[in-house]
Amino acid sequence: MKRPLYAAAGVAVLAVAGWMIYQALYGSLVFFILPSEYAQNPAQFEDRRIRLGGIVANDSVTFDNDSLKLTFLISDSLKSLPVTHHGAPPELFREMMGVVVEGHFKEGGFASDNLLVRHTEVYQPDGKPIDNEALRRALY
Amino acid sequence: MTFELSLGHFGMASILLAFALTIYAMGSGIVGALKQDASLQTSARFAAFAVFLATTTALLVMLVALLTDDFSVKYVAETSSRASPTWIKVVTLWAALDGSLLLWAWMQTGYTALLALVALNSALRPWALVVMQGVQLFFLAVVAFVITPFQVLPIPPLDGPGPNPLLQNHWMMALHPILMYLGFVGLTVPFAYAMAALITRRPGTEWMQPVRLWTLAGWGFLALGKITGGWWSYEVLGWGGYWSWDPVENLSFVPWLTATAFLHSAQVQERRRMLKAWNILLVTLTFALTILSTFLIRSGVLSSVHAFAEGPVGPWFFGFFILVMLFSFGLLALRWEQVRDRSEFDSVVSREGTILAGNVLFLAMGFVVLLGTLFPLIVEAVSGQLVTIGAPFFDRVTVPIWLLIFVLMGIGPLLPWRRAEGQTLARNLAWMVGGALLAGVLAYTLGVRRTYPLLTVAIAAYNLVSLGLLIAGVVRPRVRQGLGNAAAVFTRYAYENRRRFGSMVVHFSVVVMALGVAGSSGYRLDQQLSMPIGERATFGQYELLVTGLFEERRPYKVSRGATVEVFRDDQFVTTLTPRINLFGNSPQPVSTPSVRYTFWSDLYLNLAGTVDPHDPAQQSVILRVVQSPLVAWIWIGAVILALGTGYALLPSPRREPMAARESVPT
Repeated sequence: MKRPLYAAAGVAVLAVAGWMIYQALYGSLVFFILPSEYAQNPAQFEDRRIRLGGIVANDSVTFDNDSLKLTFLISDSLKSLPVTHHGAPPELFREMMGVVVEGHFKEGGFASDNLLVRHTEVYQPDGKPIDNEALRRALY
Repeated sequence: MTFELSLGHFGMASILLAFALTIYAMGSGIVGALKQDASLQTSARFAAFAVFLATTTALLVMLVALLTDDFSVKYVAETSSRASPTWIKVVTLWAALDGSLLLWAWMQTGYTALLALVALNSALRPWALVVMQGVQLFFLAVVAFVITPFQVLPIPPLDGPGPNPLLQNHWMMALHPILMYLGFVGLTVPFAYAMAALITRRPGTEWMQPVRLWTLAGWGFLALGKITGGWWSYEVLGWGGYWSWDPVENLSFVPWLTATAFLHSAQVQERRRMLKAWNILLVTLTFALTILSTFLIRSGVLSSVHAFAEGPVGPWFFGFFILVMLFSFGLLALRWEQVRDRSEFDSVVSREGTILAGNVLFLAMGFVVLLGTLFPLIVEAVSGQLVTIGAPFFDRVTVPIWLLIFVLMGIGPLLPWRRAEGQTLARNLAWMVGGALLAGVLAYTLGVRRTYPLLTVAIAAYNLVSLGLLIAGVVRPRVRQGLGNAAAVFTRYAYENRRRFGSMVVHFSVVVMALGVAGSSGYRLDQQLSMPIGERATFGQYELLVTGLFEERRPYKVSRGATVEVFRDDQFVTTLTPRINLFGNSPQPVSTPSVRYTFWSDLYLNLAGTVDPHDPAQQSVILRVVQSPLVAWIWIGAVILALGTGYALLPSPRREPMAARESVPT
């Protein structure tokens, strides 16, 4: 009977496939975090793709029409980080709006290649602090 | 207080009538089947027609309510708006969760009625109808008691918000959801027959004959639904792509994969009377996955760009999914003795061997896509961290599996059943590998240097040679027998063997689409350009000139855009007008790309940033410019796929006399 041989080969193939899938999965995980989560443990989020969410801070937006370089500060209730994005600001992009940028951390700031505007009612402009957990849920 | 009868009451009554009639049909169907009472069975079939009439009435009522702006009907008040043009009002019928479930329920009753009409009288028919009606009972219950789209509002609003602007932006939204639901609902019929086969202890080849056609139809609709969805996203979403491994896309892709596997393994059961349990498993899995994906998409569990808003139907669908799994697998366990295979495989190198290997690959792909889609939920449950799985994961795992499937697709149809003869196999393989090498070298010298596109070109050539060999294999012996010249013999073969020829056409369409995917994903150019108005800018082989800005006002939308002239080698090519649309009172602007379609490569322009023709200070616009080679072949391939599938579904003119001569006796 060749059965045990087939079974062993099958298990081996499955093990290799499982290992490869796990590697591929882990390698493509994109963490979604807020600026304060990054500040707590920067090392964990270096050198990998990240989706960073937060509010576009007041008076922080600059855009250069020729080089298409957009910079702004992204914040939650505790922390602000500078973001550089290559590309035009989307139509709905405004200060105090919820945004999600995708890219990686670079020299203390965040280099983004994808910028999404999210409608959130989490932030109240009249003085109340941002609820970070609600912001996290709303932007994810 | 007076009670006024309105459209909503009429619609609700129709749904309740359909619900009650479905219960009657199930009851009389079950009793009629158990007692073998023909008149009760007939009564159940007529009830199926009556149910369809009732749900059709309900659907028409909703349509009338939408077209007459009757905002006393809850669904109309929540999703429609007065200013929308007529075709948008019609499409609004399925533009939101509640309406789409009403449409789904209607199609479910339509398929049941069609089955009651066309199914041949057999021991399976009453039970297949009972299962169909069970599924339909669930959908009718959800419509009647959970989402209640016909609920009459005591104080109707004066106007509604109108459907999601993304859905208003393209006529394809009229077609894509219909095709998807036709596919999903169509795949209920094979499930119903599989369950009927288990209930009646007839898991042999009897249920295969009707199921083959139903599966093929459902599978074809689903394939077209997905491709039209891809084209919609290409035309509307503005990034110049058609597939982003979004959870919603993935979740409807997985049942399509299991259905594809079944279409192939069904042949093994027909020819060799093997894989009985496997086939029942595949059909059940396909159906269960459509319910699971509906649950995941409609309940707000997964976040997705085009998921429906959180609705109350989630727990219901989850409960139904569990019920379906328990019922079908319980039944399969009870009938295990009857479905166990008694014969064994002769050789892996045979038609059935390659089909089985292909099945494993389709299922493996379905598994990893499902795993990748659900993995963020697992990570969140375990660690609390919010993550997404990027498209690179799906590309990395599915592309190699696809390439392996293409290898099998080329060699499988050339192998005989049971066991292949070494010499013929070697000769065929030599031709095919030769073709692959030749095409590969040619592509390489022409500049295709990236691994996957190059491999795709080679494997496409290998498959084209395989199709050539298949056709030569049927034509040459017949020409030698003096049955006419090659063209006449081939035409006659294609005419008589619709299933076989249809499958060749579908395989060919898959090759065409694979080339489109390889070109458009491997050699895509994507750039943002700041374009001063009146100055030329260079992009690839093109020069682009923004000549001006414009605004168009319609009652239901305002479009602002830029007029862009396209030049190539200083020759004027075309004018493109990318624009940004604002619909009704929705604050969400929708950018609408403008595309120059060509067979070789598409030029795709989309506005990024703001456009204001009334602002004299605006001296430039920002354009996202995408060049996407060969992408048109995906849409062309889809048309070929539709033709091939349709052809295979046509009834045979005779009982396949030539196929009978060709086949190896089993």
